[in-house]
Amino acid sequence: MAPKSDLLQGTLDLLILRTLSGEPMHGWGISQRIQQLSKDVLQVNQGSLYPALHRLEQQGLIEAEWGNSENNRQAKFYQLTREGRRQLAEEQKNWERLATAVARVLSGS
Amino acid sequence: MFRHLTVRLGTLFRREMEQELDAELGYHIDMLVEQNIKNGMSPSEARREAIRVFGAVEGIKDDVRDNWLSRFFEVAAQDIRYGVRSLRRNPGFALVIIVTMALGIGANTAIFSVVNGVLLRPLPYRDGDKLVVLHQGQGDPVANDIGFSPREMEDYRQSRSLSDVVEFHNMFFNLLGRAEPARVSTGVVSPNYFDVLGVKPIYGRTFVAADDAPGAPAVLVLSNKYWEHSFDGDPSIIGRVFRMNDKPHTVVGVLPPVPQYPLEVDVYMPSSACPFRSSPQARASRQFRLLTAFARVRPEATLQKSQADLDIVASQMQKSYKETPQSPGFRAAAVPLKTDLTSNFTSTLWILLGTAGFVLMIVCASIANLLLARMVRREREISVRAALGATRARLLRQLLTESLLLAVSGGVLGLVLSALSVRLLVSFAAKYTPRAQEIGIDLNVLFFTLGVSVLTGLIFGSIPAFARRFDVAPALRDGGRSSHSSQRVRSVLIVAQVSASFMLLIAAGLTLRSLMTVQNVNPGIRTENLISWRADMSFDKFPLTMAPPERRARVAAYWTEYESRLRAIPGVLEVAGGGTFPLNEVDPFPQGLIRDGHPLPPDRQPPQIDVRFATTEYFKTLGQPIVNGRAFAPADTLTAAGVAIVNQTAAKQFWPNEDPVGTRIVGGPGQFRTIVGVVADVRQQLDRAPKAEVYVPVGQTTITGTTWIVHSKLPLDELTRQIKTVSHAHDADLPVASFRTLAEVRSEGLAPRRVVVSLIGLFGLLALVITAAGIAGVIAFSVNQRTHEFGIRVALGAQRSRVLALVLREGLVLVTIGLAIGLAGAYVLTKLVGAVIFEQQTTAGLTLLIGTHPTDAATYIGVALTLVLVAIIACLMPARRAATVDPMVALRAQ
Repeated sequence: MAPKSDLLQGTLDLLILRTLSGEPMHGWGISQRIQQLSKDVLQVNQGSLYPALHRLEQQGLIEAEWGNSENNRQAKFYQLTREGRRQLAEEQKNWERLATAVARVLSGS
Repeated sequence: MFRHLTVRLGTLFRREMEQELDAELGYHIDMLVEQNIKNGMSPSEARREAIRVFGAVEGIKDDVRDNWLSRFFEVAAQDIRYGVRSLRRNPGFALVIIVTMALGIGANTAIFSVVNGVLLRPLPYRDGDKLVVLHQGQGDPVANDIGFSPREMEDYRQSRSLSDVVEFHNMFFNLLGRAEPARVSTGVVSPNYFDVLGVKPIYGRTFVAADDAPGAPAVLVLSNKYWEHSFDGDPSIIGRVFRMNDKPHTVVGVLPPVPQYPLEVDVYMPSSACPFRSSPQARASRQFRLLTAFARVRPEATLQKSQADLDIVASQMQKSYKETPQSPGFRAAAVPLKTDLTSNFTSTLWILLGTAGFVLMIVCASIANLLLARMVRREREISVRAALGATRARLLRQLLTESLLLAVSGGVLGLVLSALSVRLLVSFAAKYTPRAQEIGIDLNVLFFTLGVSVLTGLIFGSIPAFARRFDVAPALRDGGRSSHSSQRVRSVLIVAQVSASFMLLIAAGLTLRSLMTVQNVNPGIRTENLISWRADMSFDKFPLTMAPPERRARVAAYWTEYESRLRAIPGVLEVAGGGTFPLNEVDPFPQGLIRDGHPLPPDRQPPQIDVRFATTEYFKTLGQPIVNGRAFAPADTLTAAGVAIVNQTAAKQFWPNEDPVGTRIVGGPGQFRTIVGVVADVRQQLDRAPKAEVYVPVGQTTITGTTWIVHSKLPLDELTRQIKTVSHAHDADLPVASFRTLAEVRSEGLAPRRVVVSLIGLFGLLALVITAAGIAGVIAFSVNQRTHEFGIRVALGAQRSRVLALVLREGLVLVTIGLAIGLAGAYVLTKLVGAVIFEQQTTAGLTLLIGTHPTDAATYIGVALTLVLVAIIACLMPARRAATVDPMVALRAQ
């Protein structure tokens, strides 16, 4: 099994939003894409993914539509709303600031 | 109805959302299976592994569902359903709470609907907030308003920040052409008056500039009320011609039912039609200050800007005209029309709203207490629910939902109560402000009621909800006995109720005492067997075109003749005539008084004094003793020397350390009046101190509008009939109206005060009843809880009276603490509020406390005793039950 890392709280939302910034995707696709992009370091637990998707949908950050998947089956596709894009930009900035800060502390300079 | 709807909607959405969720998660699992097969697993192994990796599907579903918004409504619907069911199981309890709540909300909604209609809503005129009333006078122009003359109006029209300055003055004219001569209250206005206010007629037209041109045919616009009452709302009234002031007047329009400012009149006429206003003297004189001025502030200008402009105009007028008061403190002021119309009602309304708020607080505490008692009884149920997995938040939510359910039901009932009382409130407010007709239940009031109900529900719901710990074990173990923390909260609530009730009852007691004091005030006149009425001579009787000396003589003779005809009625003992009379609402115009030989410095205005008119028997009829000198005599006629009588206040103010009798005052250019007597002071209003007054004989004036009073022991209707016959015989065109006995006048003058005091008293009574019920409830509950204990005490030989005393003591301790806090509260409140609102109200507003000190000991003791007595009665019922506990039954019940 690939090395696994627990996601920081609140990070999952950011990852979902980032993943959806390109094209509409279904839940399976999102989990695959995160795993793939993180080179198998991050594994999204389905138990958190679907509640998170529905929460983001209720918050109006993403919207869902049923469509045909690659293998020609009905799947629920999520995409960012305008609000969601704004939120993504915001959170990305926050994350970067945090990451830089942490890196600075760790390198001890 | 509502419940079914939410549930139906909820389930509809739910089914669809559940199906989608199933499909979505199913797709994910299928993909996992496919991946596993690709990785070389057998199909069945792949599916097993996928499901293992995916985790508990139902758990994920639950987590997802928690994020659904519909979940909220579902829980709410569930809570409401549960709440209704649980309340229905206990209808008496629910009813008590809803009725209590309805009383509290009803009181507040009713008072708020008045506040809303009178103070909050914008004026029902076009851009009503831009309308101002102008005042001019010394120092504080509003209090010392001297009015405006037509030529001064012209000057104020120069203010650049005011777009229109229009005039209004009120006259009583005789309208002939109907079955009987009628005296109509007439508003004399600028032709563009209605355009400035933005009022459109419902029939015909309002005035145009051409109506005001000299010699233009006279026209009338009828007020909606007069048209409805006197012409049965007949639209064909347009074009009807009536005679007024010796001229035909044609009705050209009827107004919509808008409130009329500054006062309600019957008809309107343009200024050129008024014989006074259009006379050459009035047009030329800068001192013909009869007019009220309204203006519209330009849209871009502010009130401050227009105030600055007015100051400039006023100071320029002082420089240019010697008739303008020359004192340095002379100013003009612009006051928003809205403020002007409600100024004497505002503080009374806030007091009433404050007392209503107190009632609501007491209601809130009382309901919280009832709910707390019920909570204790529901301990087991709640504990079981907690044990079965309901979270604390979920339980709190359930309890708050029930409270809100009760609060909103009570609020709706309260709204109905207040809607029923609207008509009563309108007639009450009409005594204070022309805006009374605007009072009603509108959206603002609905929002207020809803908001206050929900807030109250949240408060009385959360007190018991948070007073409880939702521990499962102890509650189940104890068999549902009350814990100490809730008993303490209950005691605190009772103390709060008692102290709030005490303060409210103090307010009620003080105002009631003050009302009784005022009612018993000796006005300085007698009021028995006196009847008053108005008699107004037609202006065309002796037109202003007559030579002034001749006209004066004819007018004087007219009234002397009328007086002697009245005196000839058999059974009439005395006859008094004058301009107005004590205790009615009409005040005379104040004028400056200058003593002969005491000339004023050129920059000073003479001090003001009320000028009143009196016939020879006036003082004798009213029972006003002459304390010095003599009364008027039949010999005091136009041809004799001018005389006057002053009252004691005027004597003290103008003739300090001097006898006024024999001295002279200036009665006009080159004319003097000799003071022949000093008359005892009279309270013109029961709740106001006597003012300085000078009386002038009717026979030496040119008064046209008069008030008469006769002293007679004849039956009222007989007397009235005789007076009407005599008046008609004297002059067929003389309208006589407003017959009232002086006892009636005296009582009516106190009507607004009586309503305010009754309202505060009603609120106090409400508070007392609710508090008494609260005390009884708490003690009964405590007795219930302690039945076991009392059983043991009695079994061990305690006297029944001892048990009774025990229970009474428990109640009285709470009441005593409440009284102590209430006493401190009442003291602070009367110090803070009393000083501002009760005593120092100098303007026309109602001074609620007269002749009663805000720390009146008798009131405080009386209220405290009442509360203690009521508390004892409230405790007695449960106490007697405690004392009659059968020890066997009590012990066995455990």
